[in-house]
Amino acid sequence: MSREAVIDRALAYFDEGKFLDDVARRVAIPTESQNPERIPDLYRYLTEEMQPTFEAMGYACRIYDNPIAGKGPVLLAHRQEGDNLPTVLGYGHGDVILGYEEQWDEGLSPWRIEERGDKVYGRGTADNKGQHCLHMAALACVLEERGHLGFNHKFMIEMGEENGSAGVNDIVAAHKDAFGADFYLASDGPRIDAAKANVNCGNRGAVNFDLVCELREGGHHSGNWGGLLANPGIILSHAIASIVSEKGQILVKDLLPPPIPNSVRVALRDVIREGGPDAPEVQEWWGEPGLSASEKVYGWNTFEVLAFKVGNPDNPVNAVPPRAWAHCQIRFVVGSRFEEFPEIIQKHLDENGFDTVRVMPPPEGNVGEFKASRTDPDHPWPSYIADSVTRTTGEKTVKLPNSGGSICNYIFQDTLGLPLCWIPHSYVGCSQHAPNEHILKSVTREGIAIMAGVYWDLGDPATPMPARS
Amino acid sequence: MTRETAIEKALEFFDDGDYVAELSRRVAFRTESQKPEQQPELYRYLEEEITPAFEAMGHDCRIFENPVDGKGPVLLASRIEGEDLPTVLGYGHGDVIRGLEDQWREGLSPWETVQDGDRLYGRGTADNKGQHTINMNAMRIAMEARGKLGFNSKFMVETGEENGSPGLHALVAANKDAFAADVFIASDGPRVSPDTPTIFLGARGVKNFDLICELREGGHHSGNWGGLLANPGIILSHALASIVSETGRIRVKEWLPGPLPNSVKAALRGLTVDGGENAPEIDEGWGEPDLSPAEQVYGWNSFEVLAFKVGNPDNPVNAVPPRAWAHCQLRFIADTDRDAIIPALRKHLDAHGFDMVDVLPPPDMNAGDFASTRTDPDNPWAAWAAASLQKTSGTAPAVIPQLGGSICNDVFTDILGLPTIWVPHSYASCSQHAPNEHILLSEARSAIELMAGLYWDLGEGNTPNAA
Repeated sequence: MSREAVIDRALAYFDEGKFLDDVARRVAIPTESQNPERIPDLYRYLTEEMQPTFEAMGYACRIYDNPIAGKGPVLLAHRQEGDNLPTVLGYGHGDVILGYEEQWDEGLSPWRIEERGDKVYGRGTADNKGQHCLHMAALACVLEERGHLGFNHKFMIEMGEENGSAGVNDIVAAHKDAFGADFYLASDGPRIDAAKANVNCGNRGAVNFDLVCELREGGHHSGNWGGLLANPGIILSHAIASIVSEKGQILVKDLLPPPIPNSVRVALRDVIREGGPDAPEVQEWWGEPGLSASEKVYGWNTFEVLAFKVGNPDNPVNAVPPRAWAHCQIRFVVGSRFEEFPEIIQKHLDENGFDTVRVMPPPEGNVGEFKASRTDPDHPWPSYIADSVTRTTGEKTVKLPNSGGSICNYIFQDTLGLPLCWIPHSYVGCSQHAPNEHILKSVTREGIAIMAGVYWDLGDPATPMPARS
Repeated sequence: MTRETAIEKALEFFDDGDYVAELSRRVAFRTESQKPEQQPELYRYLEEEITPAFEAMGHDCRIFENPVDGKGPVLLASRIEGEDLPTVLGYGHGDVIRGLEDQWREGLSPWETVQDGDRLYGRGTADNKGQHTINMNAMRIAMEARGKLGFNSKFMVETGEENGSPGLHALVAANKDAFAADVFIASDGPRVSPDTPTIFLGARGVKNFDLICELREGGHHSGNWGGLLANPGIILSHALASIVSETGRIRVKEWLPGPLPNSVKAALRGLTVDGGENAPEIDEGWGEPDLSPAEQVYGWNSFEVLAFKVGNPDNPVNAVPPRAWAHCQLRFIADTDRDAIIPALRKHLDAHGFDMVDVLPPPDMNAGDFASTRTDPDNPWAAWAAASLQKTSGTAPAVIPQLGGSICNDVFTDILGLPTIWVPHSYASCSQHAPNEHILLSEARSAIELMAGLYWDLGEGNTPNAA
């Protein structure tokens, strides 16, 4: 009975194909949360796959219906070993984005896993079925090896993450005792570099909004009226140019975060962005001057024009257009005044002569409303997990202060007050929201070893968890 | 017979409903030149409507095939009364823009005229069937009143104007003798206001082009990449902001016209722009500072963003978009170097650090490219025509050096070397390129008077000497 033994057991589980069997069964359930017809499959995933597996490991399971009609349920599995032991909360999501069946490469299907070289294809392999399967398999190995975990564990599986986690925060807030814990540990998203494990302590938030300049009804002949009527496309271009420079620097001070904390700066020194072979070329001249690439994407706020429309682009005519519309986004780090962003922008526009441009709510199809979160990378919890990962891999484990993208971390950090730590097992080229979603076997195999090591260490008196905060 | 008789006869023709009846018949021809399948309609319009009308007025008619394959024919009707008489070239176009049937107001149709109060609805009522129908009948009535025209008439009716008059330059250049004249007098476009008889002596030019900033293939997750990847929508917004100010003032120096001739300045002085009922409100602060509205639209250049697209506006996603596209336009007066427009823009973009923004040709469907033309307001034909209109209406007409919109007027000014006199019979809010196109019957009635008087006067023997 040892750390090495549990890791060997986990690797054997993987090498004998049992792990991919688990994934295959789970991928075969088409849990598309954006497709209302899949609600029965969302339940089936929990009742047929998650609940029996957790119960077999001695977890008590409860399924919470979503308070929002038509949205997916949440499972909470709970193994209580002792009231004096610390409690760790895990998380996964069993839903996936739409299958896009007809767009996958020849011979591939979103609902059937297929191994090709180092890649294992299937919808959810990366996001997130493959990742929570790693946790469950590693937990089983630890229980088989040690007989118990040595800590209390709760694991929640929600079924609506790809649809904005609607209702999940309400469920958790209404059942704080049930979901309450001391620490948070889960897996989702990509590693910074496919070849090296890292942990991640939070995420950037996102605020989406529209800028609309509507000057009149209908277009007017640009010959008869050109020079007489203000052009909303020109005005909106100027308005955007007043918010963000031609090199992507945000020009409105109140939209910026506080200075990057020293601990974050130090942690980001180790973060080298490796997008992989198909990654786009980075523009070094873009973004906030004086910041490194990783500081720009993980430590600072960014302003994007996601979409822009003036006139009729598909069938343009010679008319002064009546209206210009831009769909914009600010990604922001912890400490930003994100709740005031719309008012800050409107005030800026009004003060700069752009009072014809109005800040409006974004379209329902892309509301993109996420809070930012971050557990300080120097906090003992992510440091503890990073050390555990290093014990398994033998390499220094980078602590990413937060991801660039957004996830529902605020439920855990704000509603439950937990220190965060994520161990991502995917990579940026995994096509997670596109056809041909896949994981890399090499990364996944290392992932099962890492998770077995982490869950072993959490219950090992030789590596006690940090004091509860 | 007198001038008064000719005008009375013209008003009788109008008041008896004959004008509306004839125009309604012509509107029923679906002469949509942007639709290849309507090509036979273009021929039918010339053969069944225009040719018989001119032959009844003693004109010889010839239909020229378009030198561009698949484009509409051109009719030339000629009546030569004497070698020493002045020759007047008229013009109209029988084609119309798309019907857009499903977008007209309930109860209206592009192909069947409907009268509602002072308005007569139908595709082509304003642009241009209603206008050449006025001129053809005014000429006929003046001729009947006098027993002859008293001048030589050439009148061309083309069928491709709404498709950019393809082939017209080549066709006229190859048949200069057939189209040769001393003066050009025709009708199209709007008056400065519905109640003000108007002459315009040319038209602003137009150059459409696209600006494209394409930085990479495909979108990239704005969380994972935001801050690392340049956003083409932001860059193109800045590029546009460098071209034109937030109040519409053009910032590319080479795009501005040279000093306006005094004759043009004088013509524009005191001129007011009135779009009529339902016209949009003029934005006084827009355009070049310190110009009057009339100077903005008839005596200056204007830059428009006609369309702009970044990302997927109908279904936006959280991705740094790969590409931004803007479809733009410069309208310009005659004192602008047309050939310098695109090279100057390239130079401007490069000088402002926008070398990643490409200047590309516009889409075929909206490839506006017209020369800017102007007959000098001091040309004696301008004063002559203005005097004729004043004689009929009692007040001096508005004389605009250049119409705001664009017309293939360089065929007449440059290829044929003619002074060009346009007497428009529509108004700015006639929806000519939109659903619900219409004319105002009161305006059409005043127009047929003016034109009967003008065609009468052309035969009086006191026109300016041939240039």
